[in-house]
Amino acid sequence: MLNLIVCVKQVPMVTELPWDEKRGTLRRDLAAGMMNPACKHALEAALQIKESRPAHITVITMGPPAAEEVLREALAMGADRGILIGDKLFAGSDTYATSFVLAQAIKKQCPDYDLILSGCYTSDSETAQVGPQLAEELDLPAAAYIEKIDITGRTLRVRRFVDNFRETLEMEFPALVTVAMENYQPRYTTLAGLERAFKEENIVSLSASSLGISFSTMDTHGSCTKVRKVFLRKAQKENIFLKGPAAIVVNEFLKNHEDKVSSAIGKDIKKEENDNG
Amino acid sequence: MKHKLIRNSVRHFAETELWPIAAEIDRAACFPVEVVGKMKNLNYFGLQAPAEFGGAGLDSISMAIAVEEISRVCAAVGLCVAVHNGVALYPLLKFGTKEQKERYLPRLASGEMIGAFSLTEANAGSDAGSVETTAVKNNNEYILNGTKIFVTNGGVCDFVLIFALTGHDYEHPQTSVFIVESGCRGFQRGEVEDLCGMRANPVSSLFLEDCHVPEANLLGKPGDGLKIGLVTLDNGRIGIAAQALGIAQGALETSVKYAKERQQFKKPIAAQQTIQNYIADMATEVAAARLLLYRACALKDTGASFSAEAAMAKLYCSRVAAKVTSLAVQIHGGYGYSKEYDVERYFRDAKVTEIYEGTSEIQRMVIARAVLSQLMF
Repeated sequence: MLNLIVCVKQVPMVTELPWDEKRGTLRRDLAAGMMNPACKHALEAALQIKESRPAHITVITMGPPAAEEVLREALAMGADRGILIGDKLFAGSDTYATSFVLAQAIKKQCPDYDLILSGCYTSDSETAQVGPQLAEELDLPAAAYIEKIDITGRTLRVRRFVDNFRETLEMEFPALVTVAMENYQPRYTTLAGLERAFKEENIVSLSASSLGISFSTMDTHGSCTKVRKVFLRKAQKENIFLKGPAAIVVNEFLKNHEDKVSSAIGKDIKKEENDNG
Repeated sequence: MKHKLIRNSVRHFAETELWPIAAEIDRAACFPVEVVGKMKNLNYFGLQAPAEFGGAGLDSISMAIAVEEISRVCAAVGLCVAVHNGVALYPLLKFGTKEQKERYLPRLASGEMIGAFSLTEANAGSDAGSVETTAVKNNNEYILNGTKIFVTNGGVCDFVLIFALTGHDYEHPQTSVFIVESGCRGFQRGEVEDLCGMRANPVSSLFLEDCHVPEANLLGKPGDGLKIGLVTLDNGRIGIAAQALGIAQGALETSVKYAKERQQFKKPIAAQQTIQNYIADMATEVAAARLLLYRACALKDTGASFSAEAAMAKLYCSRVAAKVTSLAVQIHGGYGYSKEYDVERYFRDAKVTEIYEGTSEIQRMVIARAVLSQLMF
């Protein structure tokens, strides 16, 4: 039987995020939570693997007590077990600290895993770092942004689409993949599944002490980044009115706004000009 | 936490699948078979049916939340779910024999069969005792004759509870309830009604002409009709209250969004105190309606009598729906009167919640009877 682990995160549901201006972090207590959309795709990939062969799915999350919600939702969708890692010591962890803590929990609670799946990024911070960093912590082969998984024996063949290339990679278990949002459209949750998810006692809670992590551990493995400033980016739109004969104003426009035009059409227009003589 | 997840889950489904088609199926008076098919797979047709019969086994608050969230987006589909679960599946669960439950519950809970409840006739509605449809026993069958009107889900139902006269007990008419399958001999549907609201629900008449129903399909005992009807409607009122609440919630949210966007006198109309007063009243009444409804649900789950509380919830939620949707149209001004905007549909859909499954006048009768007999204060 395959042992699958899916890392999930609870993210705020709102589009206007309530910020703690002083600390430069999100006021999570004010925002309703939901499962990060990309994590749902990762869970769906795991569920589809489980439908094709015997498999056991553990979902793991690090967060405040309310993050239990995303574990329950994952159980409702078809996962078998949940692990909730929560401790004040971990509050404000950056991606480096988070992947370290996740690695310790995985080593302790499910050392016999075959494949770890995570979302390609989270909707609240979009770093896309935790998956790959977790692979480093656990010394695993990894592939990010995968859109298709095939398993033959202990070999994992994954396809991904990055930088306009579609490539297929092969790895041996144990391995880690981060799942892209193109495929593996998450299934809807059944109401019977939700009801069942709250009847079962299959969520394990882990604290720093139960993982053997102390202040001094977090000193060396803790966050190495600090959010200096968080601000809302304002949309900047500008209207430019050009007057005069078309041939002149178009040339003038291209000359004055070369960089913007290049980035808009995805070509270096200066280079194109030179290439064409 | 469970209730929150159920709300999020149903809301996500409704917004993804029903939102894009809600206006169109209303305009075309078309029952959305494909989306309803998806709902069947997610247990929306077995909300409170036990898991062993293939249902979700939800508590009553969860059931109300599900109906509320569907109705927030599309009240006509919310109605289909409320009626199927509240007044077709529920009485079978409550009064059905072991054989009846085994035969029909799994098919209802999976949505293979869509359920309906059929009491109303040309001369019987609020006055439930005046049913004229007859059921005459003939060996091990009953032969039903009569015409039923305004049957919610009538155009698509496969399982319908028919109230019919089986005789007289002294002077009093004796009413009984029959499980009738739509495919049985002598069963015919009428045209789908052309109604003001809830247009995506195929409300129709049903014609019974020498309709042969096995004796085994009698629900409860002969003469139990009125009792079964009243208990069933107590439960149905929770569903309709939830539906009305969903409509009100949808109209409120739409109005808030519009009031923030619509500019008049060089500022959003939400900055006008009059509009703020409307919105404050709407939000307050929706919140109060929700609490009243959930109280009835919680009471039902304790096993206590919830008849008056369900009537209060139904009376109040439907009144709030009518008022809030009317204010929503007012906030939208001329646009609110146009079919281009959702509030016009909410406004039409809300009205009937004050009429069906017991008019507001009947709810007051139920409540007053309970209060005056000191069953409640």
